[in-house]
Amino acid sequence: MKWLDALIQGVLLGGMYAQYALGMALMFGVMRLVNIAHGDLVVLLALIGISASVAFGIGPLPLVLILVPLAAIIGWSLQKFVLNKVVGADSLPSLIATFGLSIALQNLMLEIWSADTRSMRGGGIESASIDIGGIYIGLLPVLILVAATLLTGGLDLTMHRTRFGRALRAAAADTEAAAMTGVNPRVVYAYATAIAVGILGLSGVFFALRATVSPADGPAQLIYAFEAVIIGGMGSIWGGFVGSMVLGIAQAIGYRIDPGFGTLAGHLVFLTVLATRPQGLMSRG
Amino acid sequence: MTSTPSLLSTRSLIARYGDFQALFSVDFRIAPGEVVALIGANGAGKSTFLRALMGLLPVGRDMVLFEDQPVGGSQPHHMVQLGVAMVPEGRRLFAGMSVEDNLKVAIDHARKAADKTWTLERIYKLFPILQEKRAAQVEKLSGGQQQMVAIGRALLAQPRLLLCDEISLGLAPKVIREIYEVLPEIAKTGTSIIIVEQDVMLAQRASNRLYCMLEGHITLESLSSDVTRADIAQAYFGAGHEVA
Repeated sequence: MKWLDALIQGVLLGGMYAQYALGMALMFGVMRLVNIAHGDLVVLLALIGISASVAFGIGPLPLVLILVPLAAIIGWSLQKFVLNKVVGADSLPSLIATFGLSIALQNLMLEIWSADTRSMRGGGIESASIDIGGIYIGLLPVLILVAATLLTGGLDLTMHRTRFGRALRAAAADTEAAAMTGVNPRVVYAYATAIAVGILGLSGVFFALRATVSPADGPAQLIYAFEAVIIGGMGSIWGGFVGSMVLGIAQAIGYRIDPGFGTLAGHLVFLTVLATRPQGLMSRG
Repeated sequence: MTSTPSLLSTRSLIARYGDFQALFSVDFRIAPGEVVALIGANGAGKSTFLRALMGLLPVGRDMVLFEDQPVGGSQPHHMVQLGVAMVPEGRRLFAGMSVEDNLKVAIDHARKAADKTWTLERIYKLFPILQEKRAAQVEKLSGGQQQMVAIGRALLAQPRLLLCDEISLGLAPKVIREIYEVLPEIAKTGTSIIIVEQDVMLAQRASNRLYCMLEGHITLESLSSDVTRADIAQAYFGAGHEVA
């Protein structure tokens, strides 16, 4: 029972990571752009959400409707004005550009919100749970898992069934060949980053409901997203989801073994996958 | 020949890679429906010339004219909209995607033409093996089949001018024949074709006119049927180029 509970909690934790991993799978896995500011953007959106909910007294759902378009605009601007300038075969320039952005964002948030931890009130949803045969399952984590699953499925279909998805995969495979086939890679990339960051608008609200948020929390979220994408396999949208589940379960089981071992257990599984199957679990390679 | 209007022409076209000048004042023209071959040794600037036409290299606005309109230096996707498509050297297919998805990218972004000359069905009729392999990932295909996908992808952009860069490179003679047999059918639709080719005889047979390049200069322009092997040898290798 103890281990079944750990497994279930691990899957639910994986659902949270899957939301971060989704945008990362798109940007890092498919477009080969490293966005170090990924985690900081989640934190920024979460803090904006918390402040907005306090200032205007609005609940989580209307907040999502505000934050997702805002996040999409941030993502579009990030690609158009920063990342499109450094796009190319080399991923180092994007790493350096977003590393700088990450530091700037953290200090900006510290200036605005101070180092205090905050959280969002969700009108009871954050603490509601269901009792299934002695195992308590939080309603919010289930909601997060469902949202992550639907988003992953939707994004995977978009990548494989739509004009935009084909253009993005083509541009990622060979930017120049895509351009001579009529694709404008910069426009396609701007929309892709808008989607990747737009998803973080939803993640930010969930993050603020589920845990406490402070300006320095970004890098921890970033590392889980990175690990999830690499465990799952570069280039695969579902890979990021599977990697998140592996990471979540490893951490939950680790916590049951020893409360100090949870995070480390996740990293150990990541390193094991990197050593034995570096192309990732879902990769065809 | 000179009285027919040009579909595309270049005027004193110059292109460089950084400090290295690759093309020197290239004057070139191609008429609607014409097949023009561009021959020359490795490094003569043939691929550079095609890349300059496609918008993949920065060149001056007035250096490239499409239907007498200056279009030099336009973005590649703008050139596709004008009606220029390219079969690049080395095929450059979209790895990780199926044959059909590769072709669909071109359909999605094709020139907005009233009548679509090229459809997926027509490409499959031209290259039946592609229909059989349509769900396969492109990297699983043989070199000849990959070349067919690259040609199909370029045709589905509904080009008025097709640029073919070394489409025989690395292929078996039988496959080269198969691919070159398709060119007259493409030309029959009114599409102009520029073929860059290392095999001089093949280029001469497949074209109406030919240009020879040497070290970034045009050294010969002639009707393909008129040109002699001695002319080509001189233009190709530059023997006596100084006195000519």
